[in-house]
Amino acid sequence: MRKLLQATAAIALMATAAGADTIKVGVVGPFSGSAALQGRNFQAGIEAWFALNGKTVGDHEIEIIYRDLPAADPAQSAALTQELVVGEGVQYLAGYYYTPDAMAAAPILEEANVPMVVFNAATSAIVNASPYVVRTSFTTWQTSTPMAAVARERGINKIITVVSDYGPGTDSETAFIKAFTDQGGEIVQSIRMPMSTTDFSPIMQRIKDSGAEAVFAFLPAGPQTLGFMQSYVENGLKESGVALLAPGDLTQESDLGALGPNAEGMLTTFHYAVSHDSPENKAFVEAATGWLGNANELSFPAVGAFDGMHVIAHMIEATGGEQDAAAAVESVKGLEWVSPRGPVSINPENRHITQNIYLREVAKEGESWINKEIQTFENQGDPGWVAP
Amino acid sequence: MSNDAKTMTIWQRGLRSDLIACLLIGLIAVICFYAMPSGLSLLTRIIAIMLLVLSIDLVTGYGGVATLGHAALFGAGAYAAGIAAAKFGITDPLLMLLIGTIAGAIAGFLSSLVILRGHGLSQLVLSIAVIMLAREAANKFSTWTGGSDGLSGIAPSPLLGMWRFDLWGKTSYWLAVILLLVVFLILRQIVRSPFGMLVKAIRQDPIRVSAMGAPVYWTLVKMYVISGAVAGLGGALSAVATKVVGLDALSFELSAEAVVMLVLGGTANLFGAMIGTTVFIWFEHLVSSVNPFHWLTIVGVLLVTVVLFAPRGLTGIADQLRDKFGKGGAK
Repeated sequence: MRKLLQATAAIALMATAAGADTIKVGVVGPFSGSAALQGRNFQAGIEAWFALNGKTVGDHEIEIIYRDLPAADPAQSAALTQELVVGEGVQYLAGYYYTPDAMAAAPILEEANVPMVVFNAATSAIVNASPYVVRTSFTTWQTSTPMAAVARERGINKIITVVSDYGPGTDSETAFIKAFTDQGGEIVQSIRMPMSTTDFSPIMQRIKDSGAEAVFAFLPAGPQTLGFMQSYVENGLKESGVALLAPGDLTQESDLGALGPNAEGMLTTFHYAVSHDSPENKAFVEAATGWLGNANELSFPAVGAFDGMHVIAHMIEATGGEQDAAAAVESVKGLEWVSPRGPVSINPENRHITQNIYLREVAKEGESWINKEIQTFENQGDPGWVAP
Repeated sequence: MSNDAKTMTIWQRGLRSDLIACLLIGLIAVICFYAMPSGLSLLTRIIAIMLLVLSIDLVTGYGGVATLGHAALFGAGAYAAGIAAAKFGITDPLLMLLIGTIAGAIAGFLSSLVILRGHGLSQLVLSIAVIMLAREAANKFSTWTGGSDGLSGIAPSPLLGMWRFDLWGKTSYWLAVILLLVVFLILRQIVRSPFGMLVKAIRQDPIRVSAMGAPVYWTLVKMYVISGAVAGLGGALSAVATKVVGLDALSFELSAEAVVMLVLGGTANLFGAMIGTTVFIWFEHLVSSVNPFHWLTIVGVLLVTVVLFAPRGLTGIADQLRDKFGKGGAK
């Protein structure tokens, strides 16, 4: 009886050893609900990476296991992550669109011996939550800060900030105000709008009354932004020459069709534009839109996922497919490569991506609207990160 | 055996059936533990939500108060326990649970003062106002609550200094199971007590109850406080188990979903709340892992089916079956 048990155990062990050739990557993201398009962009990025690099690293095959998290829900995120690690036996965790979801997953990484590659969630503090977190997206601080220099270069002295009253909004506001006042600008007023605001006329009136030369705004991408821009134009602010400055979340490519002429000439700073001119980006866009089937759906989360896969592949290669989170994370510290967004590297200190931030202008190219890159801020780190 | 049953008082007989029910729940918990070692954190989450649904059953099922804002009490417990741990360093899990329970009871008391002013539709609207206000307050005071980024940095110390909160979620699972059993036993006694009967009577005819000289308003306030304590405990359990609290704990969606679970299981008997929660979350989890892209549609179909064919919920079906086949047989 005992021998039989031992034999069974041995066979089971051999089976797991043979199975190690398939490396499972758990991807948590919004694949249904109102943010489903961002989740599809995660998939598009992953599929584009597979299309260009193949599904194998060495003799290890990568298998993706998707889990749906339609809205920010940390309890559910913790449950899904735990189940992916314990039940599915994933060696890598990836995805995470919202900050609280990434925060909820981080505490189990060390015990699980699993690195986590964040494809989107953009609050600076996430990388401090665990030494096994690596991020290939951006932070709101990173994309908002260069806008201050842009405003100063254009001779703008007085600015009013208008942001949605939630984490990324206040992050963006704080980042911009700090950089702008450091460079000698003046903030005449700061407005925080409730998340559920749909009528922006009173806000526009306050902007007019404030005497500001420009508006710095942050709203979550989607319907709200559309309403805000519409109101901005209808209330004559655009006509009277009050410039609208914002991070690129507001003019993500999948919204540009709907924003249309309202956004024309608007200046945004961001880490990635689908129109970025490089051979790497051309190949990426072709592969990603090939999977999406609709070129207008491609947006920034895809590039976060694409580069995330690059990082994961590098980790698999460095560890030879073994499950060793510490070695895997160590191997990508300081890693440099050319991403579709331009040259990037992983900051060894905080495991966040260092990248170019581009100033872009909304312009029409042929029939479609694009974010046209007109200036580059090279090698930007995360100014919002504070060492723990 | 039947002689024994006859000589027992109603109270004793009730207690005996409660203990049997507890054994049954415990047995199911043990089976789940061994059958699904990888799903323990899902099961813990189910139990935390179950406490919320039980607490709604107390005021809605028994008391007849219409509310879509009960997650405010759940969230109060979660945030109180979370803030105690993250900001004041109170990391003892039992103490955190106690703080959450008290916070839930206080939140229950305060919100009942508002909600019980209205009746029917206006009551429903007031309850929605309560949850909206609570959520906005948590969003505004982001230095305390972490706002929309969520409150992180909650690190509960080992339970009783012996059991660490591990990756597999074993400690939080057993903690949750024990809490559920204790709460279930206490609530069974409460709903069967004269006080519980009074609450039921108020649901049936509040005017008659007040004509009898019993205080309608304050009885319901009391029930609300008890309900708040249970919901707060659920919230605190969720904070201890997941180590993060987010604004979703204070959302209208959670309130509404919990009511849906209660209706699915059947109101005014504590089993309905437990069965409804389990079936709903389980089903949701199952279809969303089979098809992460279109699962919401399938959940919608389930709900429509239940409302159409079993308006009294899953326990309602069981009651009907018992009435049908149990009539001629022995009691």
